[in-house]
Amino acid sequence: MKLWIAALLLAFACYIPTGAEEESEARLLVAKNILNQYLVEGKDLTVEYRIYNVGRSSALDVRLKDDSFPDADFESVRGNLRVSWDRLAPNSNVTHAVILRPLKSGYFNFTSAEISYRTTEESTERQTGYSSSPGEGGIVPLKEFDRRFSPHVLDWLVFAIMTLPSLGIPFLLWYSSKSKYDMPKAKKGN
Amino acid sequence: MAATGKVLVVVALFMLPIIANGDMCLGPQVTSQTYTTPEVIVSTETVFIVEFSVTCKNGLKNINLYAEFGGKTVPASKIGEPNKFQLSLTDEHKKLPSGTYQVRVFDEEGFAWLRKAQRSGENTENIKPLFTLDLSHPGVWSGPYLQSEFVAAMVAIFVWWSAYTAKSRLQL
Amino acid sequence: MAGGNKNKLSREEELLLQDFSRNVSTKSSALFYGNALIVSAIPMWLFWRIHQIDLYQSAVFFIVGTIVSTYLVAMAYKNTKFILKHKVALKREDAVAHEVMKKLADDKKMTKKEKDERILWKKNEVADYEATTFSIFYNNALYLVLLIVASFYILKNLNPTFNYVASVGAAAGLLALFSTSNN
Repeated sequence: MKLWIAALLLAFACYIPTGAEEESEARLLVAKNILNQYLVEGKDLTVEYRIYNVGRSSALDVRLKDDSFPDADFESVRGNLRVSWDRLAPNSNVTHAVILRPLKSGYFNFTSAEISYRTTEESTERQTGYSSSPGEGGIVPLKEFDRRFSPHVLDWLVFAIMTLPSLGIPFLLWYSSKSKYDMPKAKKGN
Repeated sequence: MAATGKVLVVVALFMLPIIANGDMCLGPQVTSQTYTTPEVIVSTETVFIVEFSVTCKNGLKNINLYAEFGGKTVPASKIGEPNKFQLSLTDEHKKLPSGTYQVRVFDEEGFAWLRKAQRSGENTENIKPLFTLDLSHPGVWSGPYLQSEFVAAMVAIFVWWSAYTAKSRLQL
Repeated sequence: MAGGNKNKLSREEELLLQDFSRNVSTKSSALFYGNALIVSAIPMWLFWRIHQIDLYQSAVFFIVGTIVSTYLVAMAYKNTKFILKHKVALKREDAVAHEVMKKLADDKKMTKKEKDERILWKKNEVADYEATTFSIFYNNALYLVLLIVASFYILKNLNPTFNYVASVGAAAGLLALFSTSNN
């Protein structure tokens, strides 16, 4: 009976996750962030990927790819959406940035990028993971953005020009009369 | 016998660099493009991106490079064949002010020397990089210096103030 | 000649009466309302372009706002002019007298009384003119300051239509208020 119970326990023990084993492997966590304050059509979109190796050994042949930006909706400005590293040391992080430019306005769901790597020197299998997803964002059309945020210098100048007659004409009329009749008392008694 | 021995040593010494440089990039030709964050609206942190391509005279492909810039040491990210790399740096706006930044790119050997110097606290500036890139950052535009309504308000107040003083003089 | 004085005010008395009354001539009135209208209409440009108010949707507010503002601004013009007129008259007295006397120096036929009357009339005219123009200038300047400060600083975060009504109302109202309180 005891033997049978022991055997059963041993069998199940295989399925208990062994934390120690995982940590001696490499484990990569990827955070994907959109750094923009405002998403505007035609203005740069800054995407930042931060990759952390929280495992105990180096991650090998790391490949990050982000296919979530269709070519029709985004054009590439700088940086590549597919990138690789030979080796990422444990307890280290690396940053990768890509600059895109939205070609259309509207709501866009920013989804995850995919990362694959080998966890140990000997393993031939590749581990796949996904980055965090920034979620949905609204891309504002350029015209809207300009209307809200441009300094409206031209509008103010036109305003100034419009108020000029209202201020200028009364002032000039008054001033001409004033200078005509404004004689200091000393000159009196001519 | 001794002479031959010496010749062999000399020959070996000459051969050594060639052998040793088997996987070192010789005479690198570099083409690069850079990007720096232009305005705060497009990014809450300043981002520098350097994309560069290296051609080695000895035709090496698939080399590993490391860079030191903005005070950080990073591995160069591979973005294509052959030998196309990207370096990214993100930091707070005030930590990356406008100016020219020097990017020192090291190969494996140089990087090992660099790490050694860093660990022992030595001056890392003496370690010779494989090549250097310059990145010029014109600065991040954070909106117009003077808000237009501020200027308008100031002008209006000035005009009114001169009218007020004239009025006071009239009413004396 | 003596008989005419009983039932008709002399010109002098008429002028004096006019001097002390707040009533303005129709010409002055037209001038005031005209200027007030122009100044009250100008903010609409600001609100349309910068605060992005739709012209057609808020047309009613714009029209009502302009009319109310016109009335208040014209009132401010009148009050300020009345206050200033006497002070200006006092200042210009000597210069006007000097000029008129110089012009009529060779005219021996006019009596002193007539000359004085001329001087008084001229003084009144000059004071009226100066007070009117300065009142318009000063009040326009003050109106614009009040409007810009109210609409772009104090009420910045308000719904644009409310911003318009409140800014124009406040600017015109304060203008009228200040014009009555000044001595």
